[in-house]
Amino acid sequence: MTERVRHASGLTSLLSIVGGLAIWEAASRFAVDNSLFLAAPSQIVMAIWKLATNGLLWKHVQISAIEFILGYVIASILGIALGLAMAESERAKRIFQPWISGLYATPTIALGPLFLLWFGIGIWSKVLVVITLVIFSVVINTEAGLRNTSERLIEMLRSFGATRQQIFWKLSLPSAAPFILAGLKLGIGRGLIGVVVAELFGSRAGLGQLISQSADSFNMPNLFAAVVVLASAGIAMTAGFTWLEKSLVPWTKD
Amino acid sequence: MAGIKLSVSGLDKNFGSLQVLEKITVDIQDGEFISIVGPSGCGKTTFLRIVAGLEESNGGTVMLDGKEVTEPGNDRGFVFQNDNLLPWRTVISNALIGPELAGEAQQAARARTLELLKLVGLGGFENYFPRQLSGGMRQRVNLARALAIDPKILLMDEPFAALDSQTREIMQTELTRIWEEGRKTVLFVTHQIDEAVFLSDHVLIFARRPGRLRESVKIDLPRPRALSIKRTPEFVAYVDHIWSQIEEDVRHSVLHEGG
Repeated sequence: MTERVRHASGLTSLLSIVGGLAIWEAASRFAVDNSLFLAAPSQIVMAIWKLATNGLLWKHVQISAIEFILGYVIASILGIALGLAMAESERAKRIFQPWISGLYATPTIALGPLFLLWFGIGIWSKVLVVITLVIFSVVINTEAGLRNTSERLIEMLRSFGATRQQIFWKLSLPSAAPFILAGLKLGIGRGLIGVVVAELFGSRAGLGQLISQSADSFNMPNLFAAVVVLASAGIAMTAGFTWLEKSLVPWTKD
Repeated sequence: MAGIKLSVSGLDKNFGSLQVLEKITVDIQDGEFISIVGPSGCGKTTFLRIVAGLEESNGGTVMLDGKEVTEPGNDRGFVFQNDNLLPWRTVISNALIGPELAGEAQQAARARTLELLKLVGLGGFENYFPRQLSGGMRQRVNLARALAIDPKILLMDEPFAALDSQTREIMQTELTRIWEEGRKTVLFVTHQIDEAVFLSDHVLIFARRPGRLRESVKIDLPRPRALSIKRTPEFVAYVDHIWSQIEEDVRHSVLHEGG
């Protein structure tokens, strides 16, 4: 793409967003004249501002962030470890593969109410939901990445007398890195869904709780405010990962 | 200087019931450039891989400097047909993989490998990544990587096969130039007869089904050789002779097995 074309397509996207917001604003002001069903973008911005200044937003964000980070980090560590084990040992693969395939296809989020019963209304029931949503994409990608190691490159290292360990550290792991990062990136969206839905099932604080509380009191601006904050977090983290991919595994681009 | 570097005797290899190599016996002198030519399916690459230790034989012995070869090791440098560079490593770090795997001191190996990169014509490209290089340049890294372990013998498996014909001719003269510098013992597999004659002291002609050594042709052409030598009658006579030796086999493989 030339500089000018890129510039022009960026402008098109921007116009699309601005236009969409304008239509939304107009619709909620003139068409749907009932603030119980829809909030205008301007009202949402005001709501975010109000929630931010009275400190409520930070309370909710903090709780959700702790739940997300704990669940995400635990799932990443366990997921990568399990993926490594399954790629290295045929027995580990036979033991875990049926469970992973089965649970990956299951909407494990449905277990949320159960976790609530087991672990109570605090953060740990949410952390567990996040783990079950994030871990499978990490395991599957790690394992697939390690198994994808090029036979030709393995042979090249062997010709120099490389040991099994050397092949793992110098070849399999770096060549699996793009897959592992892709799995972690996939986990961001799934983890955020996990936090919110788990909080909807029952919680004392968090963005999901803000959403359910706002819905109960028909406070649409606050409901949308929570959604916008979540969306921003998701977009920011995904963009961060894209940047991380560019700097850590540049050979997979261009 | 003189003395036998590589001694192969009675080498057999089969894949299941198919005999690929039958009783290959050959001695290679120290500092010689040897090419192996033959029709596809004559086992020339398999032979090279056995010498490298990447493949096991089913009988016979391979001795390098009087020591039997049974597994891969850094006394042999293998130059692959596909460059097989690690895409996340720079040129210098790719070329250094051999010393690194052997746990050699980084400083000394690095200085030596920088010199080698200059020798293969990659001075100034140390910090480039493979994706930024052309096919010919990647093959130069491939060669420098094999030389970096200072092997007793260089094993080259059709290293120029994937290059276009002009790049290939340039690489042939480059290889003779580099070889003149150190006079390493080289075993070079190719299906290009003129390439074999141009580079070699001896050309080993393999026959097929089963793969066996048909003839060893001594190439008595003066060195250093320039590309123009390919147009001399002596050169053409060598090519004709070798071609006549394998023509029947090639014809058979093309007509009856589609190449």
